[in-house]
Amino acid sequence: MTRTELIGLFEKTATEIAERDIKGLSELTEISSLGIDSLGILELVGEMEKQLSIQLPDDQLVGLTKIGDLLDLVEKRRKLAS
Amino acid sequence: MADVRRTSAEWPDRTARRVAPTLAAAVEALANTHERGFTFVDTQGAERFYSFHALHAEALKRSYGLRRLGLKKGDRISLIVAESDDFVLTLLGAVLAGVVPVPIYPRLGFKASDGYVDTVAHITNAAGSAAIVTTEQQEPHVRDAVPRCPSVTQLIDMKMLSAAAEGEALPPVEISPDDIAFLQFTSGSTSLPKGVVVKHRNLAANCRAFMYEGLQANPQAGDKGISWLPLFHDMGLIGFVFGPLFTDIPVVFLPTSSFARSPRVWLEAAHRHRATLTYAPNFGYALAAKRLKDRDLQGLDLSCLRVAGCGAEPIQVGTLRAFADKLAPTGFKPEYLLPCYGMAEGTLAISFTKLTDAVHADRVAPDALQAGKATPAADGAPGNDIVCCGTVFEDHEVRIVDVNNPHAGNPLGERQVGQIITRGPSVCESYYQNPEASAESFKQGWLYTGDLGYLANGELYICGRLKDVIIVRGRNFYPQDIEWCVAQIEGTRRDNVVAFGITEDGEEKLVILAETSRMQAGALREEIPKRVLDEIGLQPFKVELVALGTLPKTSSGKPQRRKTKALWTSGQFVASTHGAAPNGAAADAQEISE
Repeated sequence: MTRTELIGLFEKTATEIAERDIKGLSELTEISSLGIDSLGILELVGEMEKQLSIQLPDDQLVGLTKIGDLLDLVEKRRKLAS
Repeated sequence: MADVRRTSAEWPDRTARRVAPTLAAAVEALANTHERGFTFVDTQGAERFYSFHALHAEALKRSYGLRRLGLKKGDRISLIVAESDDFVLTLLGAVLAGVVPVPIYPRLGFKASDGYVDTVAHITNAAGSAAIVTTEQQEPHVRDAVPRCPSVTQLIDMKMLSAAAEGEALPPVEISPDDIAFLQFTSGSTSLPKGVVVKHRNLAANCRAFMYEGLQANPQAGDKGISWLPLFHDMGLIGFVFGPLFTDIPVVFLPTSSFARSPRVWLEAAHRHRATLTYAPNFGYALAAKRLKDRDLQGLDLSCLRVAGCGAEPIQVGTLRAFADKLAPTGFKPEYLLPCYGMAEGTLAISFTKLTDAVHADRVAPDALQAGKATPAADGAPGNDIVCCGTVFEDHEVRIVDVNNPHAGNPLGERQVGQIITRGPSVCESYYQNPEASAESFKQGWLYTGDLGYLANGELYICGRLKDVIIVRGRNFYPQDIEWCVAQIEGTRRDNVVAFGITEDGEEKLVILAETSRMQAGALREEIPKRVLDEIGLQPFKVELVALGTLPKTSSGKPQRRKTKALWTSGQFVASTHGAAPNGAAADAQEISE
């Protein structure tokens, strides 16, 4: 899965959780600008984990602010999983 | 006169169960219980079981550790630990040492750290903590608060604590029912945090009431709790740690983040552990009903449950019914749902519905309700559904008093809406070293809850809130904090910002109105939601930027929150919003001020 595809998956999942259209995101988009609170973000993380069959540990989520940061972690964990 | 007082005589079938006089004594009483205990599940799903015997032994070691590090009876410690096992063991260690724990939520992901450090510093200073006790993982997020907290002499991590815990036993510390058990801060406030002083006798009284009277908990009958509630929140901590310790009930603790990622984790664990007791705020049931697919329920048998309690935020009858419908194939029955009412100032629980009752909502006529009378709506006519929250516990009282003349001696009658006040052994006495806030809420033994409600047939119904606190997903947010946060942004200023909560789709949501010049409106429209989410952790539902001079103010220039809300709700602020009617703003301002 390419980074662009991952952003697509992120947008699709975020749209589902926020129950409104979320698109046009980039690596540099701040996660806090999405209008989803911390529990909603965890829901989103949980859904991404399920889709990608990986685990994103809580302690490694702390301090991630941009979508690109989260995707870096996703890629790191996917490599570990394979 | 509606005055509900329960006496022992009215509970003929109640087994006369007593509990230990202090939490410390309750933990000591479990020292020989090997078969029951707490199971802590980590985020990977691994389970770790501590029998109550092991829990007591480990807590006792940690109490020695804290004492060897120089902490004395009565000292406060800020406790910031994300892992539930370390949190519970360290907290109980403090209690056995007579040290007063002050739980603070750990830093969560995706947030800027500044707001978090502020929260830690504000709460630590309000508690006058002698130390901050945390983990190696949390320490980098907490460290910057230390120089801002003059009372803090040590930053203790788990390694330091376990090193100090080794060694000879120390003589026990005498703990009396009048000693403070812990301080419960009800919000991560940025302005003036209030810590409820919970004494051991309050804790013992409330745990006895909700565990025995409310839940009829019985270890011999195989009762077992399961909870994903955060342990720095009263419902998670008192409801599932302290209550079960007083009554010898085993509990399985799941990480809150695991539930948020996948609500199935909760139900799967309840099924596997054959849990009988669980709790969640309204949003937990809503989230589970929304996220669970029918296939997620395959293979789950939840007929083991007997109580799925609901509290900590306004309860929506539709949410509970949707959850029960969704879970019907698992053997879950609607009567497991148990709406309750409570608050930290009353230790935790104030009223409970009966175990045998199905969720009951009162449909009242909206116009009568606005006039302060909860008249049942006529058949087929529109009405507001208000969930019944049951009756108060033995030796406790609840009254409804006039909103404009709140006096305990002058209660309102049946179905008249007013402020709910309560008293009894569970009710706390004060906020820690905060006489001003204490005098407002605690008067002559009565707790003035700030909630609006009425009594009908001796049962309590909650209509809303008198205080301006906004409750979202069980968390309390104070408008003052949100207004302060927004006023720090360039282009806005103090007393020109108003925050309040509205109910939308059954959930409470935040609305912010800020006065600003039109030039700055563009940038602020993006900056305000971002800043509030970063620092307060709450996403505004609506941010309206209005022309200077439009918000209603008191004679001393303070914004009038309730009046602003009423104007906004009736649609009067939309027209004066920047961008909506650029030339009409001044005229609208005129109209509103008249």
